[in-house]
Amino acid sequence: MNIRAVILVAVGLFLAFVLEHLPMPDLLLWLQPAWVLLLVTLLVMHAPHTFGLWLAIPLGLMLDVEHNSLLGMHVLTLAVHIFILQLLYRRMAMFNFLQQTAVVFLLVVLQQLLTYWAVALVSENSGPVSLWIPSLSSALVWPWVYALTHMALARLHLS
Amino acid sequence: MPNYQRQRVSGIVILALALMWLDSHAPWLQSVRYMTGYLLAPAQQVALVPSVLGNWFGESSASRQELTNENKQLTARNLVLELRAQRLAALEAENIELRELLSASEQVDDRVLVTAVVAVDPDPFSQQILINKGGEDGVFIGQPVLDAYGLLGQVIDVMPYSARVLMIADSNHAIPVQVNRNGVRAIAVGTGALNELELIYVPNTADIVPGDLLVSSGLGGRYPRGYPVATVNKVENIPGKSFAAVTAEPSAHLDRSRHLLLVFSHGSGQVPPADLWQSAE
Repeated sequence: MNIRAVILVAVGLFLAFVLEHLPMPDLLLWLQPAWVLLLVTLLVMHAPHTFGLWLAIPLGLMLDVEHNSLLGMHVLTLAVHIFILQLLYRRMAMFNFLQQTAVVFLLVVLQQLLTYWAVALVSENSGPVSLWIPSLSSALVWPWVYALTHMALARLHLS
Repeated sequence: MPNYQRQRVSGIVILALALMWLDSHAPWLQSVRYMTGYLLAPAQQVALVPSVLGNWFGESSASRQELTNENKQLTARNLVLELRAQRLAALEAENIELRELLSASEQVDDRVLVTAVVAVDPDPFSQQILINKGGEDGVFIGQPVLDAYGLLGQVIDVMPYSARVLMIADSNHAIPVQVNRNGVRAIAVGTGALNELELIYVPNTADIVPGDLLVSSGLGGRYPRGYPVATVNKVENIPGKSFAAVTAEPSAHLDRSRHLLLVFSHGSGQVPPADLWQSAE
């Protein structure tokens, strides 16, 4: 792993957390894609031997603080996410963008579902949530993010 | 898929579950949270740049006419407030004197810190906001937060440069209040709607009428005494039930205020120990 790749990953992480925190009007907030999750998906797909399950611990803790959820909740969902990706990444590389989008949609739905269960287990007041809206927006954003990363990687001669 | 990978994922899942359990039962993971806040701070600062720029642009592009008008209004308001402050000084002196006569503890003026709202929690079932002052400015968990019109809520999570405030309208929030007119005590519980609080355990015979101002009683030890909380807007005596249904409207502008005050008053914001009730028995 060379220095340019390290810088690219660091910039990507920073951007993902900026986007995750971006204040938006109430209505749009429901639509906010799961940026950090998308970034993790990219990292695991491109360098599955460097970015493994360990990634879930620091990023999960940071997401927990960002969203003020119980410490460990996002560690759990990220670990499950990365585990499934490790089973899938070879196939994902072969998929066309529609199939990839569908997989990302399902993965984000799964993460939302796990979060919802954890919240319901720990606290009593769990209102109905629109689980699928962020999943949909994440899935819609995915092809663009994927294409952008490919371009960046090609430009930096890293692919 | 090699076997050790499965062991690893189960290991992390168990670790995460243990963390969640610990976080909901023990307070000492608070420092981990705070330290992680340092990692997040740069990204959060950058994310706020658009809204800060927007505000700055809005302010700097206000017309001369608007500014003059605003200035006039502020000057007039300032005069009125100064007039009241003069009276207040005399009253406070008199109050301290009377308290000394009663040999009660002297009530010192509260120190405040001005802060701005930077984000609102999108979850419609929790009424929380994010403010731009944090642990580095001395903000602490349990600190009371006010706006210009009354009590707004309390700090529930502190990060280095920001903090999360639970508003009094949240359905998980309750605040001890008393009627300003006659001192009748009650507990105001949030309903989840921004414009409504509920008074619970109010006897049917209690002297509370619509229009009464409710102020914080300070009995919980969390909020300082005497700040306006809400105005009663409906009192309903239901025959056959032992408690009256009383609703009140918060005095603070929960959905509009941009600038808030953090209060550093003596003895406020203290969390009563969890075993308070056992030790009392």
